[in-house]
Amino acid sequence: MGIFQKLVSFLGINKKEVNILVVGLNNSGKSTIVNHFKDGENKTHEIVPTVGFHIEKFENKNLSFTAFDMSGHGRYRDLWEHYYEDCHGIIFVIDSTDTFRLIVVKDELDTLLQHPHIRNKKIPLLFFANKIDCPNALSSVKIAASLGLERIMDKPWHISCSNAITGHGLHEGVEWLTQEVRQIVATKKY
Amino acid sequence: MEFHTSKWLEAHLERNAGLKTLPRNLILGDIFGDGDYRLILVDVDFGQDLKANLKVYRGTGLVANQPLPVLPSSLISFYNDLTEPYLPVVGVSCDTDFLIYKNNKPFYKFSVPSFPLTTTESNVWQRLPHVTDESDYKILLEKLQSVSFSTLSSRSQKLLSVPLNNIKEEIDKYSGEEPSIHPSITCSTTLRKNSEDDIAVSCAVIGTENGYIFILDPLTFTVLHKAVSANIKSSPFILQTSGLYDVEFRILVICRENHVCVIRNGWTEGKILFRTANAIIDAVHLSVDKSLVVATAGKNLSCYSKKGNKMWTVKTIHEITCLCLLSLKSSNTYLVGVGMRNGAIHLFQGRHIVDCISAPDTPSALLFGQMGQEEHVLIIITIAGALNFKILKRTANFNLESQETSGPVVENRPLPLPKRSKLFVEQVMREKQNACDIHQRFQQDLIKMRLTAARAMVHLKPDENAAGNEKELVKLSARVTGLGPTFTLILNVENMSNEKPLLGLSAILHCKTSLYKLSSYVIKKMETKVLEINEPIKGDNSDKNNLIRVFVIKKDGNQPVITASINMPDTDFLDIL
Repeated sequence: MGIFQKLVSFLGINKKEVNILVVGLNNSGKSTIVNHFKDGENKTHEIVPTVGFHIEKFENKNLSFTAFDMSGHGRYRDLWEHYYEDCHGIIFVIDSTDTFRLIVVKDELDTLLQHPHIRNKKIPLLFFANKIDCPNALSSVKIAASLGLERIMDKPWHISCSNAITGHGLHEGVEWLTQEVRQIVATKKY
Repeated sequence: MEFHTSKWLEAHLERNAGLKTLPRNLILGDIFGDGDYRLILVDVDFGQDLKANLKVYRGTGLVANQPLPVLPSSLISFYNDLTEPYLPVVGVSCDTDFLIYKNNKPFYKFSVPSFPLTTTESNVWQRLPHVTDESDYKILLEKLQSVSFSTLSSRSQKLLSVPLNNIKEEIDKYSGEEPSIHPSITCSTTLRKNSEDDIAVSCAVIGTENGYIFILDPLTFTVLHKAVSANIKSSPFILQTSGLYDVEFRILVICRENHVCVIRNGWTEGKILFRTANAIIDAVHLSVDKSLVVATAGKNLSCYSKKGNKMWTVKTIHEITCLCLLSLKSSNTYLVGVGMRNGAIHLFQGRHIVDCISAPDTPSALLFGQMGQEEHVLIIITIAGALNFKILKRTANFNLESQETSGPVVENRPLPLPKRSKLFVEQVMREKQNACDIHQRFQQDLIKMRLTAARAMVHLKPDENAAGNEKELVKLSARVTGLGPTFTLILNVENMSNEKPLLGLSAILHCKTSLYKLSSYVIKKMETKVLEINEPIKGDNSDKNNLIRVFVIKKDGNQPVITASINMPDTDFLDIL
């Protein structure tokens, strides 16, 4: 980050607020991923199943992210759609070890993509194939294939392997998301 | 037709899993205490010698497999204490022993207490080791046969089936052992001790071949309560419980003799609740209304109330093989899954079918519950050995409200009739008195209305001025050629009729004179000797294009035979040039 950019961000010029929705099934590691982006003192050590949702804020390259960390539990998944309307990007977290529920992931993803607030909007989708360090984890390629991600033509998407505990792969994914969101916000304005 | 999408996600299907699992021999439990529910089942090998294995599945993969000493009759899982971490134990009923596994390791063994022999039988066994002569054996065996077979001990039962020349070896096997009846366990279930919570201590309840029911202490596995299921011979094969042991409980004992007994707190002998005409195949207790859904041979599915009265019976399309309870706690819905031959599984809410699922083939065991992290999983094991997991979609809606009304429910509510007003009474009187007049007037008005409609129709007909005139069978088409500013308009009048000639036609062309200048505005004699008449018209355009209307008229007609509007092509680019 150059000195000028630092100055710009310090003065708050050029800073944009974007809302990011973090969704995925329960026990996929959404809260752990969001926790990773928090500042040192705000980090929690004990991650418990989210009830309802949590709102967390963090920054990346002049973009101020407001992450809606949704609960992935079956009974709270109805809440997701209420936040589709004014979100600029979606992070979809997948437990790569849970092959049994991959079909549920696909079902939820299809429901998400069919939603009227998502269907006709160009929203970047970032997939985290989480828990990649586990011995029986599926590769991101396999996950992308079984979820049929290649069918998503009208939205930019990216899948990245991650390990939310160590933070491996998280920054790479969020860099991509930042870039995409920046582009979309820019084209909207002009 | 309504578009039907399945409410189920096909999570996993392993056709050649080779599993032979009987009903009540599979359970779901968080047996390692990590919140990841495993599937535990008994896989029976019906080979030369019967063998059984206790298998544990995590998700779709087999994670543990241990042999069992004998063929188990049922499998249960319950919490026996509430020390952290919460680990449920698995109880396997193997012959006369109730084996308890914790953390997938053998933990405890409970043996069914022995029952004394009948005097005749004990006398025979006292004498048996001391006789050597074959004729003496015969006499003793005849004595044994005089006793009812089911009340004999297992060793006597076996002895009676052994050929006479092997009888000596058979008797020698038991030398030194005091003969006693050790009934084998035929069924088991759990009974909550003092709490209805998800994680709460439960007692194991086991039923034996001779009709006794034992309730075991969760911690010490000693007998807390012992009762006989009925005053007549009954061999239980399914147990269903409700209530709490410390407060009030009810145990339903479903017996092979086609009766269902009930045992309550403190009872040492159960009462027969009801009998069924056909053999009972499977039964499921609904804790909501304390009713019992029973599947019997002959494609019958019946529901009995708490008091044992039959509430309804439905015929299923195929023979029933197994039942399972689907409890959807979030929507407070309780469905009964009915597995049938041909692999159909119907879900019943009350007597109505709310969903149909298909299994790869005839299901031999069904189970619904939490598996892994997913709450609503239906596990199907088929007779051919396939293992199938189906996940209920989160958005699944069984349309229970619409089902309620569609049933053949007798409507007791009277029709919402309005009050009899004075006006209504007067009108009725008038109608009664002048029925003929009213009818005639109505008919008159009806005929008049029809006449008016017909007249309006006739009036409208000649106004038709579309491109084709059906009455005259004339077709008119126009073609504009040229790039402009001068165009050539070619009109084409076609006679569609095979019989009638078209004579004395002329055409009038109409347009805005400020826009177009036509070479001629009236074409006087459109000859029809030749079928096509082409009349080139020169148009001169200087401004924006517009319509040219063409009216083709007959000599003596006051209405045009056919009309057409011609859109002239755009000539804007000429201005640019």
